Amino acid sequence: MGDAQPLLQVKDVSKSYFDNGKEFKILDRIRFELAEHDFVCVVGPSGCGKSTLLRIIVGLDTPTSGEVLFEGHPIRADNPQVAMVFQSFALFPWLTVAQNVELGLEALHEDPAKRRAVAKKFIDAVGLTGFENAYPRELSGGMKQRVGIARALAIEPLLLCMDEPFSSLDALTAQNLRDEILQLWSNPDLPPEAVLMVTHSIEEAVYLADRVIVLSSRPGRMVAELEIDLPRPRNRKDPEFYGWVDEIYSLIV
Amino acid sequence: MSNIGDGVGRETPVTDFRSMSKVSVGQILGLVEAVDEVGGVADAATIAREVDMDIDRLGPILGAAEFLGLVTVEDGDIRITDLSRKLLMASVRERKKIIREIIDDLPTFRLVMDMARNAGTPLGRQEVVQALADRVGSHQAEDVFKALVYWGRYAELVRYDSESEQLTVRVAPT
Repeated sequence: MGDAQPLLQVKDVSKSYFDNGKEFKILDRIRFELAEHDFVCVVGPSGCGKSTLLRIIVGLDTPTSGEVLFEGHPIRADNPQVAMVFQSFALFPWLTVAQNVELGLEALHEDPAKRRAVAKKFIDAVGLTGFENAYPRELSGGMKQRVGIARALAIEPLLLCMDEPFSSLDALTAQNLRDEILQLWSNPDLPPEAVLMVTHSIEEAVYLADRVIVLSSRPGRMVAELEIDLPRPRNRKDPEFYGWVDEIYSLIV
Repeated sequence: MSNIGDGVGRETPVTDFRSMSKVSVGQILGLVEAVDEVGGVADAATIAREVDMDIDRLGPILGAAEFLGLVTVEDGDIRITDLSRKLLMASVRERKKIIREIIDDLPTFRLVMDMARNAGTPLGRQEVVQALADRVGSHQAEDVFKALVYWGRYAELVRYDSESEQLTVRVAPT
């Protein structure tokens, strides 16, 4: 690692919408970096522009000013080194689990046998072996999001971006999936090299992240960037854990 | 002891595989994790409040976890078992193996597995539902079938094609 170039650089990103000549500022000069081995959560109240920020970071939206660099180059939406997991799972209901995962591989591997093998590996990594030929309608919410995660990991990205990936799940399923994400993350043989996740749940951010970026409400401004140095596995009942949650709350409220 | 906790224990008699049809493996593991986090024993009412689930939702999850031998529920207290502790320490793959061993031993599950093995050809959905109806009653057979497919798939013991509605035994890795 050392002082190599950061994987991701978010440089003074601002975003505004204009309506009848009037400016509505969503994001205001967001600036941070992500290196390999970083698990970073961006947390903020709803309307702070955090999902917009993530869309800009993956190249699905453009900033009004500022720029996003990935490995030193302006980000592009078709960059296969960056994958995204969505809150709504974004699965194709008419495709099976295996087909949903393989679909993202069509641009990467011409050989169908190779696509099947790669999909199989990641379906297995997220615990979905057995459900390969199931359709999304046959899956629980947690299983659906596992498909989303397998699909994202299958392209073997350097950076995995997740937009509120657990917020459509019930609390028990969400906690289980958080733990499994950490399990995958701790496996050095699996991608990605870094994770950037957006969440409105402060507790979730403190549970998962090595670093938390706190945004204020509209326009989203960086209020703090905190290193969460709690050892893992973290216990949400631990007073120190609560101390972090409390601190972030006080920064936002 | 709270009334809510008491209700959880009584409203979910642990009698059959059917209790598994309304819950997912993630919910059961999440429950075990939640109880473990507070020291391995928790008041059901407290857990219900923490995970924002009423008794109608938490009840079946508790029932299924108890049915699998992962928790005991007594007087509204949920207590995790040694098997749960093993599960918590396990990887995603090892968890499947542990659940597979539990599921494979359940009589209703075994009935269908034996049927499928003896048939030698894929079993039709109706055929399985009928066999289950003889055992658990027709009003429960559909739920039990649903549980069987979900848990059987998770444990990598069965293969089910919802298009052709055919069920086969899957040779699980050891």
